[in-house]
Amino acid sequence: MSLAPATLLRYPIEEQTLDNGLRVIASPDHGAPSVAVNLWYNVGARHEEPGRTGFAHLFEHIMFQGSANVPSGQHIALMQAAGASVNATTWFDRTNYFETLPTGGLDLALWLEADRLGSLLDALTQQNLDNQREVVKEEKRQRYDNVPYGDVIERLIALTFPAEHPYGHTTIGSMEDLNAATLSDVAAFFRRHYVPNNAVLTIAGDVEPADAFARADTYFGPLPAGPLPDKPREDPMPPLGSDSGDLPRAETSAVVPAEAVYISWRLPARSTPDFDALDLLFGVLGHGQTSRLHKRLVREAELAETASAACMGLIGGNSYGFGYARARDGVTVEELEAAMLAEVDSLAEAGPTEIELLRAKAQYERHWLHELARIDSRADTLGEYATLLGGPHLINTRLGEVHAVEPDQISSASQDWFGVDGRATLIYRKDQG
Amino acid sequence: MITYELPGQHVIAAHLVLDLPLSAENRDREGVATICARTLDEGTRRHPGEAFAEQLETEGAGFGIDVSLAGLQTIIDVPASRLGIALQLFAEAVIEPEFAEADVRRHVQLRLAEIEQARANSAQTANVAFRAAVFDPTSRASRMNGGEPETLAGVTPQAVRGFHTAGFGPQGATLIMAGDFADDPVALAEAAFGGWRNPEQARAPQPPVGSAEQKSILVDRPGAVQADIRLGGFGIDRKDPRWADVTVASYAVGGAFLSRLNAVLREEKGYTYGVRMQFSPLRTGGSYAVQGSFRTEVAVDALAEGRTLMDIRNHPITANEVNDAVAFFTGVTPLRYAAADGVADQAATQVLADLGDDYVDRSLAALRAVTPESATAAYESLVDLDRLTLVVVGDADRLAEPLRTVGYSDLTVQDAMSQASGPALAGPAVQPTGPP
Repeated sequence: MSLAPATLLRYPIEEQTLDNGLRVIASPDHGAPSVAVNLWYNVGARHEEPGRTGFAHLFEHIMFQGSANVPSGQHIALMQAAGASVNATTWFDRTNYFETLPTGGLDLALWLEADRLGSLLDALTQQNLDNQREVVKEEKRQRYDNVPYGDVIERLIALTFPAEHPYGHTTIGSMEDLNAATLSDVAAFFRRHYVPNNAVLTIAGDVEPADAFARADTYFGPLPAGPLPDKPREDPMPPLGSDSGDLPRAETSAVVPAEAVYISWRLPARSTPDFDALDLLFGVLGHGQTSRLHKRLVREAELAETASAACMGLIGGNSYGFGYARARDGVTVEELEAAMLAEVDSLAEAGPTEIELLRAKAQYERHWLHELARIDSRADTLGEYATLLGGPHLINTRLGEVHAVEPDQISSASQDWFGVDGRATLIYRKDQG
Repeated sequence: MITYELPGQHVIAAHLVLDLPLSAENRDREGVATICARTLDEGTRRHPGEAFAEQLETEGAGFGIDVSLAGLQTIIDVPASRLGIALQLFAEAVIEPEFAEADVRRHVQLRLAEIEQARANSAQTANVAFRAAVFDPTSRASRMNGGEPETLAGVTPQAVRGFHTAGFGPQGATLIMAGDFADDPVALAEAAFGGWRNPEQARAPQPPVGSAEQKSILVDRPGAVQADIRLGGFGIDRKDPRWADVTVASYAVGGAFLSRLNAVLREEKGYTYGVRMQFSPLRTGGSYAVQGSFRTEVAVDALAEGRTLMDIRNHPITANEVNDAVAFFTGVTPLRYAAADGVADQAATQVLADLGDDYVDRSLAALRAVTPESATAAYESLVDLDRLTLVVVGDADRLAEPLRTVGYSDLTVQDAMSQASGPALAGPAVQPTGPP
């Protein structure tokens, strides 16, 4: 048993900022003739206006609908024809756009990204907006509305944060709000958030840093900086129930195969040492076959067909933690909830054992190394740490930070956030179909 | 044994590939391979019960399994410095699993719950119904890999032990390891697996899979807001001389973002989040399908339009389409094989499909030789528009009559509960939201 991580990381990382404020990160790796281009924009669902939930994500779709010199749909088509994997995603804190391709396509990738950052509105039409609105509504149907338990995340978030809070709604948003989005909303959102000084460009792979910086400057250098948008509120909210004493609780039902119990917590923001401690604690509670929830609920008591827990790290004052279990046939949700809470309480009371903590750290290490194993996910992690956290260099020291978390830090964070009965509960019952 | 030395790949991926097809299962006990594989890490003779997983996870290792028609894989991922001890544990799980009564019985119950979850899921229901419709109904390929409720009833601890004894052994087994090794991988493998003997091992044949009669099926999901559609037929495997041609052609018709299908059904009409056409190879034979999920109101239109777009008789594959497809497939290849898990996974696929070590190089060369004419000819020889099998999972009240009206007069409507499969759903969906 060692206290230090088994693997020392030395990924080369260099950073420069262009005159217009665009941060550029280069991380060379000549293991394959490929390069990853990855842009993080500091805008996500938490920046959305009331009545416009789902907008950051809808906007992300519009970014593929053409710009001054690129016809609709051609961003992806040209990239694929250059041998690229290409996509984008939207989350609470950010939106990322990325392509990974043979090194010879680097200029084309940078040109395409710069063209839409510089001139998206030149190509924006009502027809494009209407088409992608329909596509996003199909995405919502396919991933949420037509899937058993597809409404859980929306319901849990509503129990955990006030509706007007930046984290009080999902990234997919509501059909109503998607329907309400107008062309002027798109234009205003673009002008407010899509400026070079609100973005981080990472170029990882088969290119030397000096070359990467020069090319970034060639394509992005001419774009003007803009005023930075106001930050959404970031004052930390206290644990659930600590203000009023009432713990949020809701029940719902649908035609689902098994009844289920979901518990959620408000946690501290991910940039805090408390969050790292709680992340390990949630690992002990519900990650993997040896976690408390799986061991007791699935394996020993045979109350649940599945049981797990996890943290979702966020930067805006609070993060989010949840645990869930689906009941085996013949087990009531009351029995299941009582068994889950017994595990939560005993973990809060006595903390993880020494070996459980070691195990959580060892599992964290493998996941972290795996995340950095490919240039595409490494570029994404570099952009994440540059945009949301203390800087890209942290990816080399992250394992040391996690391994340094001591049991007393865990018990203190647990006392403040986890073991305070400060949780929301959602009971999911079964309708007969 | 195959090893790949990959500098900078700190997590080693090790796959043990067993030449043990699912057709080796007793017909009345299908699912036994899956339950056997899932119970391997529930305790070994040396580390009974939870002690095994605890030891494994403390070493920072992750244990996984893959059950496919052509064979089973057990998989371990572990940081390089801990490969030695992890391989010892890996070998224990494979060679001397405990198969405790309670563990086997629980995994059968969990599999039954997983089937219930799959039956409630539209896309999984469509996949299960499609394989049942397109493969010879007497073939193992036509039924769920993990077994059906009737056959799982016969999967007892004794049956699992029997399957393990007859199926798991060093003959025909391949150990694949990839990563930046801290120690000699061959010596570590020798230490872990060198003593493996199983005189009772019985080798099973790999039977070819045949096709079924064309049919049109609607699986009823009352009130569903979307219809999941699969339209396709019996296909080919990677050894067929047309494989590269049809890979290119299906990319043009339904693989690329601006493929013929996606350009119209998503980008022009907004009928779907995405539609694609794909050939899915087995070791011998295979299937192909256009698949997508469409809101109920437009599903029948989407189907009719999709079928028209699949028809390339008057719209052969163009030179530009071939160039784009070849550039795409050759371009994404190096990245795919840059990481340890990708390399090991591809090597395992090659073993399971009996493709040979030089498959990647040969397949890239074959892709570069594709012409518009060869792609068009291969596609037309395989995609018979008059004999496409259709599976729709959706609201029968709103879909059955319109489907019959547009020409699917042979449509049969099934109850959702007679269908099923695949992995169960996880908890709340907390992945980021993305476009294509």
